[in-house]
Amino acid sequence: MRAWWPRALPYLVGLCGVGVVTALIAVVRPFAVLPNLSAAYLLVVLFLSARWGWRPALASALLAFLAYDWFFVVPYGTLWISAPRDVLDLVLLLAAALLGARLVSTLASQRRGAQAEAVESGILNEVAISALRDPDGGEALRLLCRRAVEAGGLQAIALMAGEGEEASVVAGDALSGADLRQARWAAARGLDLGARLEHGELHLMRIYSPRREPRLVTLTGGVAVFWLREERPPTQEQCHLLAALLGLGGLLLDRRRGAAAVERARALEASDRLKTAVLSSVSHELKTPIASLRAGLSMLSMPEAGLAPEHCEMVAGLDRQTSRLDHLVSDLLTMARLEAEVSLERTPQPLDEMLGSALRALGPLLDGFDLRVEVPAGLPPLLVDELQLERVLTNLLENAVEWTPAGGRITVGAERDGDRAAVWVENQGPPIAADELERVFSKFWTRRKGGSGLGLAISRRIVEAHGGTIRAENRPDGPRFTCHLPLAAAVPAAEPAPGG
Amino acid sequence: MVDDEPEIRRALRTGLGYQDFDVRAVESGEEALAQAASWRPDVVLLDLGLPGMDGFQVLHELRNRDRRAAVIVVSVMPGERDKVRALDLGADDYVVKPFGVDELLARIRAVLRRQAAIAEGEPVIRAGELELDLARREVRANGAQVHLTPTEYEVLRVLALHAGKPVTHTMLLRQVWGEYAVGDRYNTRYVVAQIRRKLGDDPARPRYIVNEPGVGYRLQA
Repeated sequence: MRAWWPRALPYLVGLCGVGVVTALIAVVRPFAVLPNLSAAYLLVVLFLSARWGWRPALASALLAFLAYDWFFVVPYGTLWISAPRDVLDLVLLLAAALLGARLVSTLASQRRGAQAEAVESGILNEVAISALRDPDGGEALRLLCRRAVEAGGLQAIALMAGEGEEASVVAGDALSGADLRQARWAAARGLDLGARLEHGELHLMRIYSPRREPRLVTLTGGVAVFWLREERPPTQEQCHLLAALLGLGGLLLDRRRGAAAVERARALEASDRLKTAVLSSVSHELKTPIASLRAGLSMLSMPEAGLAPEHCEMVAGLDRQTSRLDHLVSDLLTMARLEAEVSLERTPQPLDEMLGSALRALGPLLDGFDLRVEVPAGLPPLLVDELQLERVLTNLLENAVEWTPAGGRITVGAERDGDRAAVWVENQGPPIAADELERVFSKFWTRRKGGSGLGLAISRRIVEAHGGTIRAENRPDGPRFTCHLPLAAAVPAAEPAPGG
Repeated sequence: MVDDEPEIRRALRTGLGYQDFDVRAVESGEEALAQAASWRPDVVLLDLGLPGMDGFQVLHELRNRDRRAAVIVVSVMPGERDKVRALDLGADDYVVKPFGVDELLARIRAVLRRQAAIAEGEPVIRAGELELDLARREVRANGAQVHLTPTEYEVLRVLALHAGKPVTHTMLLRQVWGEYAVGDRYNTRYVVAQIRRKLGDDPARPRYIVNEPGVGYRLQA
């Protein structure tokens, strides 16, 4: 019974207005002969159009036309018009009423639109300023939900952030278990339910039971879940405001997600730093006793220490074992470090220079081998981390020394292969079994006793961190280990001039 | 010798003593500075990982007070940054722990030889087959004169003045290209490659200029 009342009100007012004016004209007419008394009806029509729009105004204009014709146009009591002058009068009355109604109602709706826009931009401003004040955006999101209910005419709203099944409510009303499940399900699939946000407009669809079923809109950084007020759906202006608020909410949720990602990255970085710090302290603890052993044993094996020859030999042997222990510990620590983080400082590096460093680091280990270096003179520099790549070369050469019989040949070669360089180390050792060609690069896997089984694993990790590849193959002379590594593009053509 | 490990102090004091070095061993940076002032050693063996006063601080103080003592920095698994920082602060060389006495002896002797050469103020620097006549700005390798551009000569001169000592990329850049040269290592690499070519030096098996990975170059003495 209540539903028709607000809609019928303007027409009732129009009916009463026309009645009152007709009565007034009837009272005034006998005393004053006024040519255009019918213009009094215009007051009613204009009032109605300003207040309720042009529909009730049109209805009352027609009613006024009929009433005037019936009561005041000869012959009275009929809708018949005898004098042509009266026809003109009546048509003018109707035209004026219609035009006036149209004009006034347009002005009024423009004013209402401007007011709604002012309200809308005021609310958006308020939310945006709150977001600027609070980098987390939580306060702004809560304010946004409050305004969406108060000004946007919603029953309730909840904003959820997070990916798919992980999404949780960050602002607005709490969700029941079933609603939360539904929202997560939709969020995981990027679905909209019962409403859609498109080109800054909110489109509402008919749904079966609007009171119980939520409407879901997927935003850039989360999901909005809301219910309409059943008795009064949002007006066009409110829909406009809601679309703007939801768009802003999406931006805020997106920013929040970005902030969370930065926070996670920071935490990871901190844990990497912690690992590196722990490793550095562990290195110190492991290396210090080895340093004491080596200092003591090397001192004891000096002729001046005066040990008997057999004791001296034994101490020298212990010193060698300590060196080996040192080597193993270094490999373990290097591997642990590479697993914690591989930080590369890549600069253009001539291969021959790095090879020089590796050969020097190995020192007397290479004595007695026939070492050949076949690096073409025009090979451009590699784009690599100097220290890490020197470690790779050292490991490959060490591996070659282990497997080459004394006096055998070890070849280090390189050639250009497109925008990469192939760098290899070949030895004259026994061939590697076919099923072991890949396994030699696994951690702790070694073909001989006493090796750490880490040298080649470390090499692979370093080469792959450079975006390169490393593999083992059997050549006619013996096994060959080949790395493919990136070349540096820029090579200066002339000597740079001294400056400063 | 500055080291907080008593076993290392004992072993090295004995081992160096066999070779007729007069050694005093202390365990902290504060003691080291006091000894350096009163006893005036020729060489300081400085461990960077000291409790209390930091090894870099000790190095800085030593360099401010006394330019005569050579400093060999000793450290467990130093990062290249630490090596460069120590050298830029004025250290003469570094040795990585663990090491044997003979390795340390070789480093000490090299540093002392260099000190003696600098003290004599010779106008001609010799490094193996290489001869640098500072007065005439002439370079000879195996007795044959080598023609270098001014930049190449400058780089070689800086390396020769510190023969046997690692010279960092920063030091080279500053001394050759000026105080405010920006750190483009490729410049020094390129010039060194040219010098090597003219000296007939093989970068993979260098006789004169060796690469100190991550640090710089060293002219072999």
